[in-house]
Amino acid sequence: MNRIKVNRDLCMACLNCVLGCMIEHNEKGKGIYDLDLEDISNEGRNHIGLDKNKCPTPIICRHCEEPECMYTCMSGAMTKDRDTGMVAYDEKKCSSCFMCVMACPYGVLKADAVDRKVVLKCNMCNGREIPRCVENCPTGCLELGEEE
Amino acid sequence: MCRKLPNRMLGVRGGGVNMRYLILGASAAGINCAKTIRELDSHGEITMVSEDKYIYSRCMLHHIIGEMRTIEEMSFAEDKFLENYKVNWIRDTRVEKLKSHDKKVILDNGESIGYDKLLIATGASSFIPPVKNLREGKGVYGLRNIEDALRIREDAKKVSSIVVLGAGLVGIDGIVGLLEQDANLFLVEMFHRILPMQLDEVSALRYESLFEREGVTIYTGVRAEEVILSKDNRVTGIKLGNGKVIDCGMIVVATGVRPNVDFIEDNTIRVNKGIVINSRSETNISDVYAAGDVTGESPIWPLAVKQGITAAYNMVGIKKELEDSFSLRNSMNFLGLVTVSLGLIEAPDESYSISVETYGDNYKKIIHRDGIIYGAIIQGDISYCGVLTYLIKNKINISNIDKDIFDIDYSDFFSIKENGEYEYVV
Repeated sequence: MNRIKVNRDLCMACLNCVLGCMIEHNEKGKGIYDLDLEDISNEGRNHIGLDKNKCPTPIICRHCEEPECMYTCMSGAMTKDRDTGMVAYDEKKCSSCFMCVMACPYGVLKADAVDRKVVLKCNMCNGREIPRCVENCPTGCLELGEEE
Repeated sequence: MCRKLPNRMLGVRGGGVNMRYLILGASAAGINCAKTIRELDSHGEITMVSEDKYIYSRCMLHHIIGEMRTIEEMSFAEDKFLENYKVNWIRDTRVEKLKSHDKKVILDNGESIGYDKLLIATGASSFIPPVKNLREGKGVYGLRNIEDALRIREDAKKVSSIVVLGAGLVGIDGIVGLLEQDANLFLVEMFHRILPMQLDEVSALRYESLFEREGVTIYTGVRAEEVILSKDNRVTGIKLGNGKVIDCGMIVVATGVRPNVDFIEDNTIRVNKGIVINSRSETNISDVYAAGDVTGESPIWPLAVKQGITAAYNMVGIKKELEDSFSLRNSMNFLGLVTVSLGLIEAPDESYSISVETYGDNYKKIIHRDGIIYGAIIQGDISYCGVLTYLIKNKINISNIDKDIFDIDYSDFFSIKENGEYEYVV
């Protein structure tokens, strides 16, 4: 499968990955000029954490082999495709219980800020050749890698 | 990525005959066990027997009561699950007897089914407490099965007032569903606050006022004393321990469950609070496994799923231990207010420190001692709180992280595995 590889040492917290994610999932259009930073209904599905030394850390869904979000999902909204490796989220099935947010050990997931109805979850840009966060990363911190 | 299948012969009995797997129950544990067995053993015969007529999520019954979902929309299994995973499902059928010496079960239609490996995932049933007239009354319902929810929904249209007994997660789910109907609602809880197992005073009171704003009348710190019946045994009211009488035409009982083990013969499978299992989901009888609520352990979805998956591995012959049985975790989302409750909800004594953060709609509390977090309640914005679950579950020492305790996140434990996944470095 393809997995977005993270090399933390190269991260400089420029947030281009977050902006890329917001652009790709913007309902109003997928260009940079469609992006409205004051529109709180458009959120990134990744984020940058700062550790105790203020060292920036990209926190991006790993599409885990043993996905805690899926094990804990009681509606069937989270599924793992064993062929592509992707852990997919179906917001129509979701019952908004947010057990997945509680279960993801890496703190990748959150509820949407406006309605608290759906979970913000990476979908690898729905089959896009290069995910937008990777494409937007200027340092090489994020790369698309082939995993066995 | 395809899960690598081991090369050795899995799931094959002597003489190259396919293994016969039998699963009793078609909910979280049963379905996940069947799915995992098929991923590991493409040849074995998988039979699933259940009293349930449908595959559905018991955590969503309020969607049925409130007419927010159809029965089809209640399924948590993927489309064409039975076909894709080649599972032979015998539905609407009870198991009468388990003959573990003969390795077979007798069904209520008289048929018997033999097995090589058996999973018992028959779940639990509503427990109706011994309150006077409660068990006899017509119009008294548990809330456990989809049939309960359908009956509650229909009856709710015919009565003007409904009492829900028990303000745990099931009782509150009942209230949430019933709010979509027209009846007056009353919630009665023995403890002095609602959701006493999951919430502290502050977080519970916020829900109480939200429900009261929706018109629900809440009585806490009081028991049900007696149900008042009409001549034909229909519920007409309930008398509480404080003398108060509530007129009502229906009572929904959400005061706990008991495991479904009545088909187990004496002196066979060890039953305590439920079927006793080890970390491989094995019972004391060889080739018999159990998972989910029938074990009488904490009745939460993820534990049932993981026990079912663990059983599947061991049933096909791959040793697997369940490492994560941490069950003091719950999330809830009622009337638009989200809360996550982890571990302890109150500090046991003064040796613990309590950190509290409140802003806007948010209330966050973390209970810790000597660098170990023992419990947390996060209400409002629960973003990224899965890290806390990990820290509490694994008793990770955070005393060397010089940060506000509410700001600790995965970046403080960051490490990348060879396959690109994250892991914790502590």
